[in-house]
Amino acid sequence: MTGLFILKWMIAFSPILTVLILMIFKNWSGSRAGAAGWFVALIAASLFFGAHPKLLAYSQMKGILLSLNVLYIIWAALLSYNVVNETGAIKAIGIGIERFSADKSIQILIFGWIFASFLQGVAGYGVPIAVVAPLLVSLGFSPVVAVAVPAIGHSWSVTFGSMGASFQTLMAVTGLDYSYLAPMSAALLGMAAFLCGIFCVHVFGGWKMVKHSLIAILIIGIAMSGTQYLLAVSGMWTLGGFGASLVGLLSGLAVAKLKKYNRTPPSQATSQMSLAWALSAYFILIVIVSSGVMIPWVKEFIGQVKLTFSFPQIVSLKGWVVEAGKGKAINVFGHGGALLLYSSVISFFVYRSKGYYQPGALMTILQKTIKSGVPTSLGIVSMVCFAMIMDHCQMIYILADGISRIFGSLYPLISPWIGLLGAFMTGSNTNSNVVFGVLQLETAQLAGISAALILAAQTTGGALGSMIAPAKILVGCSTVGLSGKEGPVLKATLRYGLIITGIIGIITLLLSFFS
Amino acid sequence: MNEFFKKFNTTLKFTALILMIVIPFFLYQGAMQDSNFTVNLFLGLMMVNMLFILKKG
Repeated sequence: MTGLFILKWMIAFSPILTVLILMIFKNWSGSRAGAAGWFVALIAASLFFGAHPKLLAYSQMKGILLSLNVLYIIWAALLSYNVVNETGAIKAIGIGIERFSADKSIQILIFGWIFASFLQGVAGYGVPIAVVAPLLVSLGFSPVVAVAVPAIGHSWSVTFGSMGASFQTLMAVTGLDYSYLAPMSAALLGMAAFLCGIFCVHVFGGWKMVKHSLIAILIIGIAMSGTQYLLAVSGMWTLGGFGASLVGLLSGLAVAKLKKYNRTPPSQATSQMSLAWALSAYFILIVIVSSGVMIPWVKEFIGQVKLTFSFPQIVSLKGWVVEAGKGKAINVFGHGGALLLYSSVISFFVYRSKGYYQPGALMTILQKTIKSGVPTSLGIVSMVCFAMIMDHCQMIYILADGISRIFGSLYPLISPWIGLLGAFMTGSNTNSNVVFGVLQLETAQLAGISAALILAAQTTGGALGSMIAPAKILVGCSTVGLSGKEGPVLKATLRYGLIITGIIGIITLLLSFFS
Repeated sequence: MNEFFKKFNTTLKFTALILMIVIPFFLYQGAMQDSNFTVNLFLGLMMVNMLFILKKG
């Protein structure tokens, strides 16, 4: 590599480095760091990579179309979570589960692994840690364990959780279809699911407790990863994380009844809402999403209105060509976010008819949704927009070229680490896929490695990054009185996060020899 | 000034988000119509909006 290429590579890397430094060392929020990265990308692209106003205009429009696809799901998921949580249903689900077993390892698996994954499936954005950590403290676990367990336990389900927002993003930025990306992604995430289950238990009771709960981990792990794989490859990837954890919940409750795990009497705590009513919103969600995805005439009917824009060929002043084509289309009424929105509205009226809401609940739901949705959205939009500037000015290609020249055929070993780094710095699998998705795709193509495998490793690393992302750890710690004392939790999750990512890297490398 | 930003924090951020979403549509329109003025104007607005997010986001 020549000195000039290294210099160009470093300039191309500067927006990402800016975001990394500001988020990790300066504790900036994703939105502020994203805006800073946008300015650095704008300056670097204009001065060194031949960006001109029209190129910037088109790239920003493409960025917004991508962002809207993701924001649609995020806002609908947040609304859905608040519609359910405002009734006290999340607490009722927790109490309902607790009554099944008093075995500590089973409690950890059910709450920290399955229930946290379930919450990731329906909400995400730090909700699993924020909800499960106080529940575990109330069951007698130490605050550090209570935060670390759901942080580790939910991470495998991040990609297909939140109605598949992270997977949707991966498809959007790479322009690849689910049928190409889903099988390998679901397979790698399925393997990560077992590892997350094992290390969840290890945090509390070491290898002795892992040995005790191995049968449970195997049964539940097979149920969850198998369901996720089937849903993902059959086109119902929006329900991948949710469906997997729901099946996991059923298998977990069945496993809890095994004699081996049922030697101490279970809790007698009760809730005003029955488990069936608490879960009713999710039954509605399953019916609506499966109808919208699997019944052809429904899919066709709601998929009639699509927002799409055509773009001409764009050439940078340095001669880098982006071919003409259509931007990411938005399926207004058939989008995953729209399906989630329909189920939220129906659930709201069902719960209201049963009198589960306090007066003024609707305003509270909307206020909470806006309060948590705005900062997340600002971060996503700013990061997507700077990633699009980089993509249209050859910057991502140069980054990919440099990495493929250094690592060559060993690249699969480090691809999950890149995803992990992205999630660590941005606090989100979605943002990691935005920032590094195209980079990983182009590097894989240059190195002649299966893009499906490398992108699966990217999103798996991004999902695992959730357990070490300071933004999420901070949320969890704030709910169990550990604010300002996040160090021990981060130390624990960092250790497990690095081990699991290392194992996924080795698996990816081995798979690359056969794909 | 700081009081104002504190009082209307969510509203201002929400407005910034709406602008972030709307401005690129005008940029696209300007670029498609070959209007350098429109493109430069809305790029300038986008920079101001990003500057706000950088400061208060």
